[in-house]
Amino acid sequence: MKKNIIASCICAFTCMLFVTSCEDELPTMANYSAYAFSGLDANGGSWTPILLSSSDQITIATPADVTSSEYLAELASLKSDMASLNGDQRRAIEYWTNNPILRWNEIALELIAKYNLIPGPNDDGTYTLPNPAAPDGPPPFPFAHPPSAVRALAYLSVAHFDGLITAWHYKYTFNRPAPYQVDNSINSAYKQNDIPSYPSDGAVVAASSRDILSVMFPLEKEYLKAKAEQHLQSLVWAGINVDSDVVAGKFIGEEVAKVALARASNDGMKKAQCPKPVSDSIKAAAFNRFGWQWDNLELPTRPVGLTPLYGKVKMWYVPTVEEVRPIAPPAPGSDEYNANAKELVDIQDHMTEEKRRIANYWQDGLGTYTPPGHWNKIAIDFLIKYKENPLRTARTFAYLNMAMMDGGISCWDAKYYYHYPRPIQQIPGFKTIAGTPNFPSYTSGHSVFSAAGAEVLSYIFPAEASTVRGWAIEAAESRIYGGIHWRFDAEVGTTQGKDVAKYTVDRAKLDGAN
Amino acid sequence: MKRILLLSAGALFSVGALFGQTPSDAIMMKQKELCFALVYDHGSWDQYWEGTYLRYNQTVATLTRKMVIPMVAIGIMDNLNLLVGLPYVKTESSEPNGGKFQGARGFQDLNIALKYEILNKQLGKGKLALLATGGFGTPITNYLSDYRPYSIGNGTNEFSLRGIAQYILDNGFYVKGTAGHLFRGQTKAERDYYYNNGSYYTAWMDVPDAWEFNAGIGVWLLDNKLKLETCYYGLKSTSGDDVRAYNAAQPTNKVQFDQVGAIGQYYLKKVKGLGVLAYYNQVVNGRNWGKFSSFGVGGTYQFKI
Repeated sequence: MKKNIIASCICAFTCMLFVTSCEDELPTMANYSAYAFSGLDANGGSWTPILLSSSDQITIATPADVTSSEYLAELASLKSDMASLNGDQRRAIEYWTNNPILRWNEIALELIAKYNLIPGPNDDGTYTLPNPAAPDGPPPFPFAHPPSAVRALAYLSVAHFDGLITAWHYKYTFNRPAPYQVDNSINSAYKQNDIPSYPSDGAVVAASSRDILSVMFPLEKEYLKAKAEQHLQSLVWAGINVDSDVVAGKFIGEEVAKVALARASNDGMKKAQCPKPVSDSIKAAAFNRFGWQWDNLELPTRPVGLTPLYGKVKMWYVPTVEEVRPIAPPAPGSDEYNANAKELVDIQDHMTEEKRRIANYWQDGLGTYTPPGHWNKIAIDFLIKYKENPLRTARTFAYLNMAMMDGGISCWDAKYYYHYPRPIQQIPGFKTIAGTPNFPSYTSGHSVFSAAGAEVLSYIFPAEASTVRGWAIEAAESRIYGGIHWRFDAEVGTTQGKDVAKYTVDRAKLDGAN
Repeated sequence: MKRILLLSAGALFSVGALFGQTPSDAIMMKQKELCFALVYDHGSWDQYWEGTYLRYNQTVATLTRKMVIPMVAIGIMDNLNLLVGLPYVKTESSEPNGGKFQGARGFQDLNIALKYEILNKQLGKGKLALLATGGFGTPITNYLSDYRPYSIGNGTNEFSLRGIAQYILDNGFYVKGTAGHLFRGQTKAERDYYYNNGSYYTAWMDVPDAWEFNAGIGVWLLDNKLKLETCYYGLKSTSGDDVRAYNAAQPTNKVQFDQVGAIGQYYLKKVKGLGVLAYYNQVVNGRNWGKFSSFGVGGTYQFKI
C-alpha cells in the first residue's frame, strides 16, 4: 500500500511539473537585438519627403568639429556616462536597440490595444462618446477603433519618415563621425557603421514619437514623456551619439511632429463621428437610393454608427474618394445575395476548426491592436528579418500606414454610401462567432486594410509578396467565417484595398529610394 | 455512510472545479466498490463582475450554462480511491440579446483524481477524518477557451492538491472543510496578440493559479439515508488581470468568487445502491465572474465488483 502512495505522489509531482514547466516568460515585445543594417542609404537625404517640402525645410546648425573643445567635452561626458552604467541603463540600451522605430511602433500598438474599447451604455440606455476636450471620460479618449488606429499609425510613421530623410540629409551634409569613430576606445553597444551621427536619428524618432502619440493618446502624455526621455539618454549611454547629436535630432523630431500634427488637426477626423441627425440623413439617403439600410442591432441600440464621415477624411494619395468607390453590392433577394446568405448559414452550421481558427486569428477585434496594427506587426517581423536600417524602416511603415489609412477612408466611404445591412440583420436567427461591428457591412474593413497593407509590403519585400497576399485573402475570408460579412464584402473589399494601395505604391516608386 | 460517492454542493466554478469537489469530499469507496454518478447542472447569470463592478450587459443578456457530468469513483483500496469525470457543457445567451453570438458546446476536461484517507478515528463523541487528494484535468476536445463568456472551460491542464478534514458526531451532524490549490498551465488562443495589462505577442495565455476553499455543515438523517448540507465554496485566483470596461473576459482574468448553497442526497431503500441528489447554489460575491445561480439534479449507483 505504501508503494501505491509513493507512486501516486510521484505521479502527482510529475503532473505538477508538466503544468508548470510550460509557464515560461511570454513575449511582450519583438524578440530582436541591435543588428548590422543591410544597407546605409547614404543618399537618403535626397529622397522625397511626404509632408515636408524638402529635406532641408527644417534647419539645424552646423555642428562643432570633432577636434573642437566643445565636442571633446561632450565626448568625455559620454565616456564617463558609459563607464558608470547601472543595470536599468543597460537594459534601456538593450531595449531600444539601433532601430528604435520598431519599439515606438510597438508602443503605439500597445496604446491602441489599451484604448480600443467601445464605450458601453449608461444606466439610462444612452451612450456617451469619448471627448478629446475631456479625455479622462468616462469613457476615456480615444476609442482606438481601426479608423482611429490606422490614422495614429500613419501620422507617427510619416513623421518618422520625413524626420529621418531630414536627418539623413544633414548626416551626409555635415559628415560628423560617430563617437566610436572619433575615439577608438569607445565600445558602442550597437553594431558600428559608417552613418554619420549628427543629427541623431534615434533622437528624431524619440521626440517625434512622443509628440505625435501624446496628441493621439492624451492620457498617456506622462508615460510617453518618460519613455522618450529614457530613449534619448540611452543614445549617449550606448555610445552612438554625443549630446549635440541628440539635441539636433530632438529638434528635428519636434519640428516634423508639428508639421504632421498640423495636417492631422485639419484632416476631417474631428467631424468623422457625426451627430445623429447627420447620421440619420446619410442612412435615409442610402435608403432612397438603394432601398436598403444598415441598422445597429445592439441593445440598447447605438444611435450613430462608427465614424460615418470617416470617408470624408483627407486622403494621402488618392485624389478623390469617389474614384476608388466600388460598384454597388447585390440587392437583397438577388441570386448572388441569396447564394451569399446560404453560404454564411452553411459555414456557421458546419463550423470547422480551420475556419474558426482563421476567423479568430484575423479578428483583431475590440481590445486588440486592430487589423492595421496586425499588419504593422507583420511589417516589424519583416523589417527585422531583412535587417532594415531606420530610414528604410520608417519608409516601410509610412507607406504601409498611409495606404491602409487611405484604404480605410475609401472603405468607410463605401460603407456609408451603400449603408448595406449585416448578415445578422438580414438572416433570421443568424448567430456568429465574431462580434458584429457598429457600422455597415459593405465593404469589409479587414479586407481593405489587409489588401492595402499586403500590396505595400509586396512592393517593399518582393520575396514575401505571395505570402502576404495570401494572408490578405485569408484575413478577408476570416470575416465570412466569423459570420459578420458577406462574401462580396470581402472580395470587393480586397480589390478596393489593392486599388487604393496602387496610388501609394506609385508614389513610393518615385521617392528616390529605389 | 462511507459507501456512496457524493457530489458536494459546493463548487460550480468551471466544471473542472465542479468535478474537483468530489475529491474534496470525505467519502471513500471500499476496496472493489464502484460508484457511478450522473449529474445535470443548470447555471445562469444576467449580471457579472467586470473587475469588482457588478453589471448587466445586454450583448450577452442572460447566459445559461448546462452541464451533464458523468463520474465514476473506484475503491482501489479501502483508503485509496480513484475518481474520473468528464463533463459535457453547453452555453448560450438568452433571446433577445444584442450580440447575436453563437454559444458553445462540447466535452470539456477529463478529470482524474486520487483520494487518500490519511486518518479516520473516533475522537470524543464523533469521528475525525483527514484526507488528501491530488487531481489532474486536461482538455480532451479542441474547445476555444478564449471565447468568454461562452467558452466551456479554461482550456489548460490543471493539477490540484486538496486537504480535507471532517468531524462527524455519532448523532449524524458533521462539519467539514477543504482547502486546495489549483495549479493551472497556459491555454492556447487562436490569435497571436492579446492585451493583458500590456501587449502579449503569443497565442499562449497564462491561466492564473487559484486557491479553493470549501466548508459545509450537514446532518445524516433517516438512518443515514438522507444527507442535508449547507455549504460555502470560494475560489481565489492568485494573479491575473481584470475584465476591461464593456469588454469580453479572457482566460488571463483574475477570477474570484464566493458561493453559498445547499444539497440534499437520498439513498433509496428499495433499490440497493441507488441514490438521488439535488442542490442549489448562488454566487454572492465575485470578481471577473458571472453571478451564477445554479441547480443540479443527479443520481448515483454503487455496487461491488
